[in-house]
Amino acid sequence: MTTIAPAVSGRRRTKSLGSLEMGRPGFAWAIPATLFFGLFAIVPLILVAVLSFTRWDGLSSPELVGFENWSALLDDPIMIKSLWLSLLLTVLGVVIQTPLSVLLGVWAAGHQRNRAILSAIYFIPLLLSATAVSVLWRALLDPNFGIPAQASWLFGNGNLFGKQATAIGVLAFVSTWQFTPFHTLIYQGAARAIPRVLYQAAEIDGASTVRQFWSITLPQLRNSMITSMILMVVGGLTTFDTVLILTQGGPGTDTMISAYYMYEKGFRNFEFGAASAIALVLVVVATLVSLVVVRASGYDKMRSTLEGM
Amino acid sequence: MKTRFTRTVTGTAVLALGLSLSACGSSDSGGTGASPAGEESGQFHVLVYGDATNKVEKQIVDTFNKTSKVKAVLDTIPGADYQQKLQTIINTDQAPDVFFNWGGGSIAPFVRANLLLPLDDYIAKDPGLKSNFLPSVFNSASVNGKAYGVPMRGTQPVMLFNNKKVLADAGVTPPTTWDELIAAVQKLKAKGVTPIALGGGDQWPTLMWFEYAYDRIAGPELFQKALDGDKQAWAGEDSKKALTMLKQLIDTGAFGDKFDSVKFTDQGSPTLLANGKAGFELMGSWEYATIQDFNLKFAKNDLGYTNFPSIAGGKGDPNNVVGNTNNFYSVLKKTKTPKAVGEFLKLMYSDEFVKASLAIGNLPTTTNTEKFLDAADNPDYLKYQFNLVKQAPSFQLSWDQAYPPSGIEPIHRAVQQFFSGQIDADGFIQAMQALPAA
Repeated sequence: MTTIAPAVSGRRRTKSLGSLEMGRPGFAWAIPATLFFGLFAIVPLILVAVLSFTRWDGLSSPELVGFENWSALLDDPIMIKSLWLSLLLTVLGVVIQTPLSVLLGVWAAGHQRNRAILSAIYFIPLLLSATAVSVLWRALLDPNFGIPAQASWLFGNGNLFGKQATAIGVLAFVSTWQFTPFHTLIYQGAARAIPRVLYQAAEIDGASTVRQFWSITLPQLRNSMITSMILMVVGGLTTFDTVLILTQGGPGTDTMISAYYMYEKGFRNFEFGAASAIALVLVVVATLVSLVVVRASGYDKMRSTLEGM
Repeated sequence: MKTRFTRTVTGTAVLALGLSLSACGSSDSGGTGASPAGEESGQFHVLVYGDATNKVEKQIVDTFNKTSKVKAVLDTIPGADYQQKLQTIINTDQAPDVFFNWGGGSIAPFVRANLLLPLDDYIAKDPGLKSNFLPSVFNSASVNGKAYGVPMRGTQPVMLFNNKKVLADAGVTPPTTWDELIAAVQKLKAKGVTPIALGGGDQWPTLMWFEYAYDRIAGPELFQKALDGDKQAWAGEDSKKALTMLKQLIDTGAFGDKFDSVKFTDQGSPTLLANGKAGFELMGSWEYATIQDFNLKFAKNDLGYTNFPSIAGGKGDPNNVVGNTNNFYSVLKKTKTPKAVGEFLKLMYSDEFVKASLAIGNLPTTTNTEKFLDAADNPDYLKYQFNLVKQAPSFQLSWDQAYPPSGIEPIHRAVQQFFSGQIDADGFIQAMQALPAA
C-alpha cells in the first residue's frame, strides 16, 4: 500500500518533465479547434455585437439605430432585476450543490455494500434532458393533483409558482436534483485519488472520521472543488430550459433571468437588436464572474495537492 | 502558465455562451419542413400549423390537385413555435405562397413590411369569397380596412363552462348577470369548492376575464381605440370600472388562492372542473375536446356552457363574444401563381370543407355550416356555438392576437400581475399604455 503514493507522484513528475522536453506542439495542431471555435463562437459573437446596434424584427433588413438598444437596456428595470436573479440562482446552485455533492462524492468513493447500486440510481437524473426533468417536476408540483396537495404541512396551499421565493426555490431545487449527480461524480473521482497513506497516518495519530474528513479529504479536494464550482457558475448563468418550462419568468417578472429575458425579447417579441444587447451583457457578466472565480480561488496557479509527498 | 489557464477558462465560458446563443438561433431556423417555394411555376406552397387538423387541410389540397393544373403542396410546421418560425422564413426564398395565421396582429407586421397580397381583387371577381363567411369572423383578418385572410379552420369563442353537478349541489344556476356570478361564487365557496378554475400559470386564460369584463362594460370600442393608438382609452372611467369589478371578483376568492400554479395546458384547470373541485371555467370552445380526451362521460353529460354574464349598466352588448375568431389563409404578394391560389381559397367555403371540419370537431364559419350541424357528433354543442357567433354583434379577437407579437408578453405579464396583486389598477393601466401600437 505504501508504494502507491510515490508511484503516483513519480508518474506526475515524469509527465511534466516530458512535456517540458518536447516543448509546445506546433500551431498546426490547433487549426481544427481554432476553426471550429471561430466559426461557431467568435463569428456569431461578432454578429450579435453588430446586431445589438440595430433594430431588426427578422422581416426587413436590420436598421442601424446606434446606441438605442443599449440606452433602453440601461433604463430597463427588468434587465437589472434579471441580472440579480441570474446571480442569485447561480449562487444558490453553488451553495446548495457543493456541500451535497462533496458529501455524496466522498461517500460514493468508499467501498460500502450497495454503494455501486445506489450510486447508479442516483446518477439517473443526469441522464435525462433538462426539459424532461422540468416537465416531470411541473407535474409533480401541481398544487391540486401533485405532491403539495398531499403534504400541505410542508407546502401550505401549494401555490409554489405564485410567489417569488417559492418559485426560485423550485428552480434551485430542480437544478440541484439534476446536476448534483454530475458534481458528485467529480468528487468521487477526486476522493478516490487521495492516497490511503494519509488516512492511515491520521488513524495512527488517533484522528476521528470527522477529523479526517476536515483535515485530509476536504483539503485534498480543493482543486476539484474549484473545477466543479466554475462549471456550476457557467451552468447557472446560462440556465434557460428549466425557467422556460417551470415558470416562464413568472409570477410577473419574478424569475425572469437574463437568458430567458433574451429569449423573450428575441423570439417572442421579435426585437432581435434588443435581444442581442442582452446577450452581450450576459457574455460580459459571465466572463467577469469566471475571471473573479479563477482569481479568487487560485485556479490559475493550481498546485498539486500531493506536494511534499 | 497563469495566462494560459485564464485564457482557457475564459475561452470555455465564452464558448459555452456562444453555443447556447447559437443553439437558440438554430432551433428557430431548423426543421421548418418547408421546401423552397416558387422554383417551378407548376406548384405553390401552403404552410400550416402542424396538428390534428392537418387531416382536413390535406384532404382539401388533394381535392384541389385533382382538377387543377397548378398543384398545391402542403407544408406543416410542427409544434407551438409556428409564429416564430414563420417570422424567420417569410421574407426569404423559403417563404410559402399561402400561410396559416390568426388574423389581426399576427399579420399586421407582414402587411406593414408590404409582404401580403390584399384580397380585394379576388373578392371583386368572386364576391362569394367574402359573403359566404360570417362577417364578424371575416373582418378580424382585415388590416387598415383591407381584407388579408380567408377563414380556414374552426371558430373558437370563449364561453363560461360549468360543472352541472357541482352547481346543482350548491343550488346555483348558471349566472346571466355579473351579480348572479358573484352570488354563485359565494355559494360555491361556502360549499368548499373552488368557485372558478383558472389556469393562471399559462397567463392567457387570465386574459379572457379582462377581455369579457372590458367588452361588457365598455363595449368593443374601448379596446379598438386603444389598439388604434389612443392610449388614454385605458385610463378612462370604463377601464377603471372593469378593473374594480375584476378586483372585487378576485378578492371574493372566486379563483381560489393558488391559480398562479395551475395551468390549462397540462390539463390542470380542466381537471379541476371535471373532477368537481371547481364550479366554472372561462375557456375557449376547445375546452370540450380537451375534457373529452380524459373524461368522455363528464363532457357528454355534465359539462354545461353559457355565454359570459351581462353587466348591469354596461355599454357592451351581452351577445358579444371574444376569443379566436378563426384561423386564416393569407397570400404572399410574391406568389407566382395568384390565379391558382384564388381558386384554392374558394374551397374554404365548399361543402366538402365544412363536412370534413365538422367531422373532426371544428366549427367552420361559413354560412353553409348550419346545414350540416345536425349530422355532426355533438350537434347541441356545435349549434349553440354557431348561433353564439352568428348572433354576436361583435366578435373581439383575443387581445394578445390583436396586438402585434411584441405586445404578447407584456399583456400576459400585466394580467398575471394584476390577478396576483403585484400591480394595482394604475399599474395595469400603465402597462397597457406602454404597449406598441398596432
